[in-house]
Amino acid sequence: MTSTERGPRVVSPVPAQPGEQQPSGYHLPKVPEAAWSMAGSARRTWVGRAVLLCVLAFQAALSLRLENTAFQDEALYLTAGHAELRHLLHGTPLPMDYAAYFSGSPQLYPVPAAIVDGWFGLPGARTLSLLLMLGTTGLLHSFTRRLFNERAALAAAALFAVLQSTVVMGYFATYDAPALFLLALATWIVVRTDRAPTHAVLLAAPVAALAVGVKYAAGLYLPTLLGLALLTAQPHRGRKALARPLLLLLGTGALLAAGAYGGDVLAGVGHTTTARAHGTDGAVYLLRRSVEWGGLLFLTAVGGAIAYARQGRMHESPLARRLGGPSRRRRAMLGLLLCATALLAPAYQMHLGTVVSLFKHIGFGLLFAAPMAGVGLTRLMGAHVRHPHLGIALWTATLCLGISQADWRFGNWPDSSLMIRTISADVNGTGHYLSSTPEVPAYYLRDRTTQRQWQSVFGMEYTDRNHTRHTGDDAYRAALRDGEFDLIVLDGFTNPRVDAVVTDAVRGNPHYRLLAHVPFHGGDDTAAYRPSRTAPSGEGRGHYRIWVKR
Amino acid sequence: MRVSRATAALLVPLAALVLAVTACAPGSTAHRAGAAAPEGLPYDVRPLLQPAKKYLGVSRPKAPTSMDPVHDWTRTVGKQPNLIAYYAAWNDGFDATGVRNAWNSGALTVVSWEPRDISLTQVADGASDDYLQEYAKAVRTLNIPVAISFADEMNGDWEEWGTTETTPREYVRAWRHLHDVFEDVGATNVIWTWSPNIVEPGTHKDLRPYYPGDNYVDWVGLVGYFTDWDPHSFDGLFGSTLAEIDRFSQKPRLLLETGAMPGPHRKEHVRALFDGVSASRDIIGFAWFDHKARADWRLATDPEGVAEFRRLAADDLYGFDVRKVR
Repeated sequence: MTSTERGPRVVSPVPAQPGEQQPSGYHLPKVPEAAWSMAGSARRTWVGRAVLLCVLAFQAALSLRLENTAFQDEALYLTAGHAELRHLLHGTPLPMDYAAYFSGSPQLYPVPAAIVDGWFGLPGARTLSLLLMLGTTGLLHSFTRRLFNERAALAAAALFAVLQSTVVMGYFATYDAPALFLLALATWIVVRTDRAPTHAVLLAAPVAALAVGVKYAAGLYLPTLLGLALLTAQPHRGRKALARPLLLLLGTGALLAAGAYGGDVLAGVGHTTTARAHGTDGAVYLLRRSVEWGGLLFLTAVGGAIAYARQGRMHESPLARRLGGPSRRRRAMLGLLLCATALLAPAYQMHLGTVVSLFKHIGFGLLFAAPMAGVGLTRLMGAHVRHPHLGIALWTATLCLGISQADWRFGNWPDSSLMIRTISADVNGTGHYLSSTPEVPAYYLRDRTTQRQWQSVFGMEYTDRNHTRHTGDDAYRAALRDGEFDLIVLDGFTNPRVDAVVTDAVRGNPHYRLLAHVPFHGGDDTAAYRPSRTAPSGEGRGHYRIWVKR
Repeated sequence: MRVSRATAALLVPLAALVLAVTACAPGSTAHRAGAAAPEGLPYDVRPLLQPAKKYLGVSRPKAPTSMDPVHDWTRTVGKQPNLIAYYAAWNDGFDATGVRNAWNSGALTVVSWEPRDISLTQVADGASDDYLQEYAKAVRTLNIPVAISFADEMNGDWEEWGTTETTPREYVRAWRHLHDVFEDVGATNVIWTWSPNIVEPGTHKDLRPYYPGDNYVDWVGLVGYFTDWDPHSFDGLFGSTLAEIDRFSQKPRLLLETGAMPGPHRKEHVRALFDGVSASRDIIGFAWFDHKARADWRLATDPEGVAEFRRLAADDLYGFDVRKVR
């Protein structure tokens, strides 16, 4: 290399000749407006993916550190899945009409989950949920990047990944993870087809319909999908833009109608979702829980929505000024749509007056608010990430809340392993058993008993030897008086009132002997939703009481 | 190509992480649920209630807190006892060490719990509940089966809780209260042993009013001794009492406190005892009262009796390791 190749060339001045226009002896290059390019590069791609990988790995680690035996919902769905599988493969009659009271199709999730459970056990089924939740975060990242930019996408993914709902649903073998994944996939399709021909949005219709089929409550978020289809119809305005949501509505509606017509699910939809029995949880209480479980991300999203509405520019480069973008009205509507979606679940559960599953449903709404939260986090850190500490503080706070809430959540049902071990020798294919959570022993002891053999503590009917029909508490008393049950397992908190009825009926009963008093960690299922209440024997501990026939 | 490499680079480590953590995660499978440590399970006493073989028991001073007297007796009779009875006063703590000693030698402990200095009415009314709860917790924590014979010989007139100072109703009420306290605490490793004295002069013939009920009793224990003046046969000594109990209970019977007076009849009495226990499926064994109290009931005082006992106890029907009964 010569010296001239190393730096700017130095040119000696040449004196100008009189009467001639001399060209300048040097050239000033055009100064760019920005010292860096807005265009993507391999390095940016790799850095972005590496950060996303870290986020996903962190999310996986948070979920996989959770530990407990099967929750009753998990046990129920997996048991149903095994029964449906036997029904499909061998024509074995179903022990009960799951479709009549399940909150999702008894085939769509339970069957594949049962297959995985059969191969790998409960950890396998839970890992399936983990993969789906990781996929959800990945899709969130992708459509947020499309809506805004890479930085907001990574921030959204990082915030969403550490929420209680995400961490728990990522290791929870229920409908929620697949339903949320399908919703995220439908959203991704809607967003990614923004510049495609209008009919491309129809690709989202089967996915959205499937999400609703997997879990009926996912239908609550279909309006958001329609709104997104409208607001992301980039090249179109006015009536033309309306074609996208309209097509999506018709497509999804047609598929759902076909599904409802073809399957007997309407009773289940009504029983568990649309006409669900109203509870007694107050609005203030539900609001407080909602704030605890999703308030921070929601506030960040609101901040992001306001900031985005005020200024749509998503890049520090001066060149970004010249880029076209959504109008302020459209930006405001997008922010409003995404943030308001996070309020749907709390509002609906306030209407129902129940806290059951609220923490999961909040997670559904936060999936939509997360992109705006990503914007909020990046705006909080400022241009050129001038205030990283603010972003780190916000994420750390979200993480701390998420970890502690997830740990608490997963530790708030009894570890049933000792109980199952204790009763396993006392059950067979012919007995009749009473249990506080019949789903759990029915799942773990499915090789010896069927679900029909297990009676719950939430109501029963019994006809005694004199052909007198008893219902409610009297049914339990009469059945125990007659020695109807071969084994009784009470946990002391699932239904304390009926527990007391049963305990009184068993005391001094010549048919029964108290077999064991099995301690467990965790417990107080009710307290899982009401942290202000204490566990039955304090400090999250309790015990099963098990009676057997003498 | 670059895209696929990038995607692979994203997915492969992620999948590896998930698989690795899943493999190491302390998950909760049916298998795992069924593979809990046996020592973590509450002891199920049911197999001990009516075992295939007979209990061969003994009561000796200081046993089972010290096992030396038991070992000494074992050398005398040639067989390890699998039932060790001892006497505890009210307000004594639970002798977990003794129960564990006995268990480690393959024997079940029977606590003969004597409510002195407190009336059964007070017990029934809960005056001693704090004590009872602590006692029951200690029993539960030990998680080794133990038989409790509360206020035995209640049908006699020589005990404070006997016929002169307590009514059958109060007796039953106290028994049930005691039982319920243990149940509430979760001490399910107790074998409840109701132990009247045999029907004889000075006792009530009608035992039924003293019976707490099948749901409160696991074993019917009997207290009766062969003496020089009683009939020298098993039926003569226990027959009428067993017939009386047959009227209201079918629970397994245990001769909880028995022995034979030293003298010319001891050998005959020992044989009668073994023959009577062997012949009845309902009688699950006996415990020899090897004390010097009012009379010298110690087996070793009579070589002929020892020899006969040794010969009959050698039968495989007697004695088994209680730890192996499941």
